[in-house]
Amino acid sequence: MSLLFRTHLSLACASIRENRTRSFLTCLGIAIGIASIILILSLTGSISHLISREIKDVGANLIVVRPSSTKDAVTSLVGELTGTNSYQTSNLSLSDIQALSQVPGVTAVAPISLSAHTITDENNTIASATILGTTPDFTAINPLTLRYGSFISNDNKSNSVVIGHMLSLLLFNTSNPVGRTLTFQGQRFIVIGVLEEIKDYINFNNIDYDHALIMDLEALAAITGDPQIQQINVRTATTGHLATIAGDIKSVITTNHSGDTNFTVSYGDAITHPASNLLNIISGILAIVAGISLVVGGIGVMNIMLVSVAERTHEIGIRKSVGASSHAILLQFMLEALILSMFGGFMGVVLGYILAFLFSIITPFTPYISWQILLVTFLTSIVVGIIFGTYPALKAASKNPIESLKHYR
Amino acid sequence: MLILSLPPKQPLIIMNEDIIKLTHLTKRYGYGDTESFALKDFNLTIKRGEFIMIMGPSGCGKTTLLNIIGLLDRATSGEYLLNGESVANISARRQARLRAKKIGFIFQNFNLIEDLPILENVALPLVYVGYPRTVRLKSASNALSRFHLQEKEYYHPSQLSGGQQQRAAIARAIVADPEIILADEPTGNLDSRASSIVMEELKAIHAEGNTIIMVTHNPALTTYATRVINMLDGSIATDIKTVSDQNLPKSSTSKSKKRKKSPKTTKSAKTRRKK
Repeated sequence: MSLLFRTHLSLACASIRENRTRSFLTCLGIAIGIASIILILSLTGSISHLISREIKDVGANLIVVRPSSTKDAVTSLVGELTGTNSYQTSNLSLSDIQALSQVPGVTAVAPISLSAHTITDENNTIASATILGTTPDFTAINPLTLRYGSFISNDNKSNSVVIGHMLSLLLFNTSNPVGRTLTFQGQRFIVIGVLEEIKDYINFNNIDYDHALIMDLEALAAITGDPQIQQINVRTATTGHLATIAGDIKSVITTNHSGDTNFTVSYGDAITHPASNLLNIISGILAIVAGISLVVGGIGVMNIMLVSVAERTHEIGIRKSVGASSHAILLQFMLEALILSMFGGFMGVVLGYILAFLFSIITPFTPYISWQILLVTFLTSIVVGIIFGTYPALKAASKNPIESLKHYR
Repeated sequence: MLILSLPPKQPLIIMNEDIIKLTHLTKRYGYGDTESFALKDFNLTIKRGEFIMIMGPSGCGKTTLLNIIGLLDRATSGEYLLNGESVANISARRQARLRAKKIGFIFQNFNLIEDLPILENVALPLVYVGYPRTVRLKSASNALSRFHLQEKEYYHPSQLSGGQQQRAAIARAIVADPEIILADEPTGNLDSRASSIVMEELKAIHAEGNTIIMVTHNPALTTYATRVINMLDGSIATDIKTVSDQNLPKSSTSKSKKRKKSPKTTKSAKTRRKK
């Protein structure tokens, strides 16, 4: 049996070599599908890698409270895609923050309230700048490097703001606007700090710091009314009792919300999970496209195998007449399809990583390679080969030897 | 000294002198209005060592008969005993194995695989018997040298003349040392010189004790045969034996000698067990 297998392996290789161009094009079909899978897996892998590294940097003693989505999945998906729902409705409130800081073991509480508003200075107007409402505690949890000035503190929080590097350039045409004022909803604020330019756009808070204006949440609430709080970051004194403190936080907020549990409390790796809904959606759609191209590639394999079977009908007749069983013929053509798809898979892995590296040049991603990804693609190409090789091989095996012998090219 | 490296022929489980026995064999094509019979109530017993020529007009069922004997086709009704065993009871897989080991086919149009060199073409039955590559190629090379084609081993069929191709095809038919050689007009596509060479080779193979069944249109070739059968409309018209059964060549002596010389006794024991 293993002998027949080896013979057929060399036979299949010979037949593939003989039709080099054809085989290469067939492999290319598979390769494109596999390459897109590699690209997606390597990019999503890189992102979650980045975020878990960031959390490691921030510290393990972090607990995150997020509101649960009140909308169903489809509505929020449409919202994400059309951009109308970037800042979802929240049920966390200012009083929750007050309550949380009373929980034993909690050292710092920083809410994140993202909204978009028009801000102006004497010359420029930014139509929808990202406004991050938080507390001076924010840097205690998420250390931000300031290029100029200082972060908001409890002393000056009512009329001071810190702005991102890009926003500073856009608004003031300078990288150092410390001391200048800007107008936001008719109120004037002093810029007391500018953030260092940030290279990693991906973070668990889902904030583009470079374009953000950071101010105190209470000051924000005074202007815009009740702000939407998308997330509350909580730092604990030690890493030891995260679970108990998370439990305490949960009960405190539940009491505050008079029994509603429409929020989630997460810590550790679970924080990374909803890093970016949009990113998940995009990679999901890409995965579907990759799957489709893989199916198309598989159909290409099937097509070529059917051509091969038709071309070699005479050969099949000869083989059967000198003693090949249907089983042996099946094995021969099955192996040929498998080699095609596996070679395509190999090409796809190489192509996928080349693409991922090219992609990493223009984006902050770094391609992420793991044996799981390689295993997944390897298995996928085998499965494709089996699925799309079976029908042609069965067709070859079921050929009548007498009819086949009469068949000429 | 043919096929030295091959394991010897295994002794049969039943040493049956009647190697092929066909009784009331019928092969029908089509149904109803399109119904036609290639074979009609066909009866034939073939003894070990016979060289049978089957003659008859086109469409009288000669090729169908060969295909049924060679296990490529099945009769619609009737019984076919091969070495005393009813073919109807043999699984498709074992039938394929029997084709590889016990039956050698020779065709009018040679039927060599164009993509493979002559050597690999000749070695083809051994692939399905299950020998390792080196043994296969060595046996094929030996078989080819018997037919004076050893210099052409790595040629492709299209590079050989018709006579050479047919000799290669005969080498393929005997490479697995079968008991029955089925030849369907082996000289049909050859000129007289090439065909006489081919017939001499078949005669030599027959002299070693093989059973040969050959279909031909050429009456001049019947001199080689021990028995000439004329067919008409799917049944036997005349059946003449030119050599009595006692005088048929015996295979046992020459083959047992060969067996002693074979170094691969362990291998042969293994294959015997498999059978």
